[in-house]
Amino acid sequence: MAGVSSPPPMDEKAKRTRDLLASFYTNTSNSNSAAPSSPSAASNLTPRSPSSLDSINSPSFDASSYMSLLVQKSNLEGLLQKHVQMAAEIKNLDTDLQMLVYENYNKFISATDTIKRMKSNILGMETNMEQLLAKITSVQSKSDSVNTSLFEKREHIEKLHRSRNLLRKVQFIYDLPSRLNKCIKAEAYADAVRFFTGAKPIFEAYGDSSFQECKRASEEAINTVIQNLQEKLYSDSEPIEARAEAVVLLKQLNFPVDNLKTSLLEKLEDCLLKLEDESKDVSVGEISKTFRAYLIIFPDSEQRLIELAQGLFSRRYDAVRDQLKKRMLSVDLLELLGIIWEDVTTVDQVLPEAALPAYSLESTCSSIRQHISIAFSHLQHEISDAVAGSQSKSNEGRDELDLHIVLENSKKAAMQGSLDLLVELRQFFDEKLELLPKLRELITDWVQEGFQEFFQNLEKHFILLSGSSTNNCHLGESNHSGVLTQSPDKLPTGLVLVLSQLAVFIEQSVIPKITEEIAASFSGGGVRVYEYGPAFIPGEICRLFRSAGEKLLHLYINMKTRKISVVSKKRFTTPNWIKHKEPREVHMFVDILLQELEGVKIEVKQILPCGVIKRHRNSDSVGSGSTNSSRSHPNAMREDKLTRSNTQRARSQFLESHLAKLFEQKMEIFTKVEYTQESVISTVIKLCLKSLQEFVRLQTLNRSGYQQIQLDMEFLKAPLKQLVDDDDAAIDFLLKEVNNAAHERCLDPILLEAPILDKLISAKLVKNKDLSASPL
Amino acid sequence: MQGASTGIVYGGLKYQARCIADVRADPDHTSFLAGTLSLKEENEVHLIRLSPSGNELLCEGLFYHQNEIWDLKSCPYDSRILSTVYTSGETYGASVWKIPEISSQSNSPQLDQLVSLDDHTAKIKSVLWWPLGKHDKLVTIDERNIFVWSIDSSNKIAKVISQESVGMLHNLSGGAWDPHDRNAVAAICDSSLQCWDLRTMKNANAIEHAHIRDVDYNPKKQHILATAEDEFGIRLWDLRMPKIPLKELPGHSHWTWAVRHNPEYDGLILSAGTDSTVNLWQVSVGSEDSAIDSPRDKRSRQIDPLLNSYTDYEDSIYGIAWSSQDPSVFASLSYDGRVVVESVKPYIQRK
Repeated sequence: MAGVSSPPPMDEKAKRTRDLLASFYTNTSNSNSAAPSSPSAASNLTPRSPSSLDSINSPSFDASSYMSLLVQKSNLEGLLQKHVQMAAEIKNLDTDLQMLVYENYNKFISATDTIKRMKSNILGMETNMEQLLAKITSVQSKSDSVNTSLFEKREHIEKLHRSRNLLRKVQFIYDLPSRLNKCIKAEAYADAVRFFTGAKPIFEAYGDSSFQECKRASEEAINTVIQNLQEKLYSDSEPIEARAEAVVLLKQLNFPVDNLKTSLLEKLEDCLLKLEDESKDVSVGEISKTFRAYLIIFPDSEQRLIELAQGLFSRRYDAVRDQLKKRMLSVDLLELLGIIWEDVTTVDQVLPEAALPAYSLESTCSSIRQHISIAFSHLQHEISDAVAGSQSKSNEGRDELDLHIVLENSKKAAMQGSLDLLVELRQFFDEKLELLPKLRELITDWVQEGFQEFFQNLEKHFILLSGSSTNNCHLGESNHSGVLTQSPDKLPTGLVLVLSQLAVFIEQSVIPKITEEIAASFSGGGVRVYEYGPAFIPGEICRLFRSAGEKLLHLYINMKTRKISVVSKKRFTTPNWIKHKEPREVHMFVDILLQELEGVKIEVKQILPCGVIKRHRNSDSVGSGSTNSSRSHPNAMREDKLTRSNTQRARSQFLESHLAKLFEQKMEIFTKVEYTQESVISTVIKLCLKSLQEFVRLQTLNRSGYQQIQLDMEFLKAPLKQLVDDDDAAIDFLLKEVNNAAHERCLDPILLEAPILDKLISAKLVKNKDLSASPL
Repeated sequence: MQGASTGIVYGGLKYQARCIADVRADPDHTSFLAGTLSLKEENEVHLIRLSPSGNELLCEGLFYHQNEIWDLKSCPYDSRILSTVYTSGETYGASVWKIPEISSQSNSPQLDQLVSLDDHTAKIKSVLWWPLGKHDKLVTIDERNIFVWSIDSSNKIAKVISQESVGMLHNLSGGAWDPHDRNAVAAICDSSLQCWDLRTMKNANAIEHAHIRDVDYNPKKQHILATAEDEFGIRLWDLRMPKIPLKELPGHSHWTWAVRHNPEYDGLILSAGTDSTVNLWQVSVGSEDSAIDSPRDKRSRQIDPLLNSYTDYEDSIYGIAWSSQDPSVFASLSYDGRVVVESVKPYIQRK
């Protein structure tokens, strides 16, 4: 108990006291505002405060509850003890309060003392200040008097100084001419220019009056300077820096430098032009040096120099292109291009802005391309010359045209020409020109395209030469290639055959060879394939030439048969067959026919190869849609001799021939033509005989007419079989068909008797022999 | 391409024959007239009709005709009237005939001769009717002259209205009457095709340097005609530009004898030749510009104008005729007297 109620230690006590005091001084307003709330706070606290007696220091201290709590908890002794303790505490507080009041009062008194002392000090200061002001005023007046007394002298000194400066300047100007001359002698033009430009404003101001002489003299001097500078500029031997400096100085002298520049550049241009005329007078190295010099001398002249350089090279490329128009070897072209390229690189080092390499690349491309296309057109020219040129020769001289030689020549021209061309074009790759690797793919493409176009044009040209196409649309193209010099009609039929064979040769030999070569050296490429159409496609070209070959072959046959057909037509339309006279001899027409066929044979023999001798196989016709058929009926003629009864004769004949046909095997007439002598000749003969049959069918004959035809056909049999080695059956059949046609169209079909027939034929043979025995 | 025997064959002609004609005026049936060419026997004209089922050819009438028939045309407005050109030995003639009532004479009726067109002084080549319908005029062509007749079939009168000679130097061999212009006739001359104006009887226009065997006007497009030639096969022309042909077709392996436009399907052309084939072509004319447009297009056009080649014949074919009643059907006549009727439907549908 005693322990709990023992007075707290001194520290705690002092702290409490200080807190109380602090609240008293500072929180007066707070305590005032808190005062009304204290009863409620105390009432709030009552339930809690009985547990603690320490709340005496809290603001919510409730004295009555504290008392009651104290009374309840403590015994009498404790209460007494508490009373004593409280009394002591109250006493302590009173003393503390007294101490504080005393201290504050002391401070107040000392402050009052200090204020009193300050007041007495200030009173003495005012007089001192007034004294100071009087002294300063006197100093000022004295200084003013000194100033005024010295003013005049100072003015004088300043004036003297100014005139001295002026005199110095005048002296400078009077000295200027001689100084300039001295500078000229020492070639110190920069100083001279500096002096002159310094003096210039004065000359401008007073030049007309006081310094006239002087001005003239110095201007003379400066003119010499200008002249010297110009000379310096123009002389190529001076170092570039000196020349550049001269230009700068001249510019400072307001000399029209631009004129100088243009004149210099013009000189350069002349020099460049001369370079082209007298090819190797000045090397490009020097020119590039000049370019560099000018570039330094006239920094603003770059544009013009670029133009000059570009002009120079564009002229050179133009010259190359001009040369290209003539036939030119790839090597030469490469050499030329190489030289130009070197020059371009030299100049490019000086003038990179001119973009010369790009330009040069472009020009090189175009010239190579031109070269390739020209090469191809030359090749085409050569080939067509090989074909057509021989023709003009033959027109002048012999009638006999050695077709074989023509064919061989043109074959050689086609094969060798295109191979040579390839070899030549390959040099583009061999050459170590810096440019070319870049162009490799392009060149590959061009070569391939070139071949493609070349073969296409060649095929068109063949067709045109043969004159088969009546459309005039091709004409323009061939005139463009400049080959067509004669009217296509004049081409002899033999040459059509040559062309046909040449087309086959190209298809079978040249194109595979070229394809091989291209694959070997011009593969790759394909950069531009899709944009500019296909490059070389051998398959397409082969197809083109195959069809051209066939077309030309058919054309040849067509031309030949047409010629014979015209003869035959005349033969069959002119005479009146109904009033024909008895046959006395084999008709002349047979001779003409044989002569024509002989001509075909001669031409064909020279050009086409011998075919494999092949017996005519009837089974071939099965399933071949292009062939057409007819049937022979060998018995018809014999039988009609027997059936002479007039009434049913024709009808029974007709039925018989029908029946006979049913049992005969089909006979091909229009078989596919092959590139062999036999095939072509037999096709021509078959077509002719078929025509004869058709002509006969259009006529109505009397007995003599019929017999005449019988005689002619009989005579033809042997020589035709001679012409056609392998197809006797077909000839027999077709001749019989002609006879049958005549039989059908005859009013009174009675055959010539065999002895008379033989006699007439042998007479004709003798006559022919006589003719050939006694040549013209 | 293999024209296996798809056609319907009529074997009733006992003699050789050159001429077949479509009976245009018969609206109900597909009928053809065919005339035989027998030098020594009495010739016949057959009226052939395609059975309604379309798989058989029936002989509706067989009429005797004394002389061999070189040309036969059916009257375009009266199915019972026809014209023939005939020869017999050295004599020649042309007549207009009327087919008699079939019921009246059962066995071997003769044709009633309405008019004989016999003012000709040279060998008659062909008789032309105006192809599209009723027209009271008739054109005949002989080797030297062109005649225009005024014909009155009911009164059996024919009068020569005008006549013009082409001169001794030329040889006429046939012709065609422009369906678009009743006054224009194309006549085939030795080496040219002459277009005659029937009002003035003057040669108005000509295609030169062409050895033509047959000519046919395009029934759908004016000024367009097709020719069959020795040299160039088949060529199509625009008469306003007679110098250059519009199109060329290769024709036949031997002579191309006849060429006919389809009456309905434009650009469908039939040709017959002495190589015993009939060829069916598809050509477009008039769309020239679009054809040139793109090379690929052009190429595909060039690939095959030949739709089909009918090869199942034994002899030369001189006669072909489209049916105007069913334009997808044509008849062909080979020299051995076989008439074959074929349908071109599969090829039209493909188009």
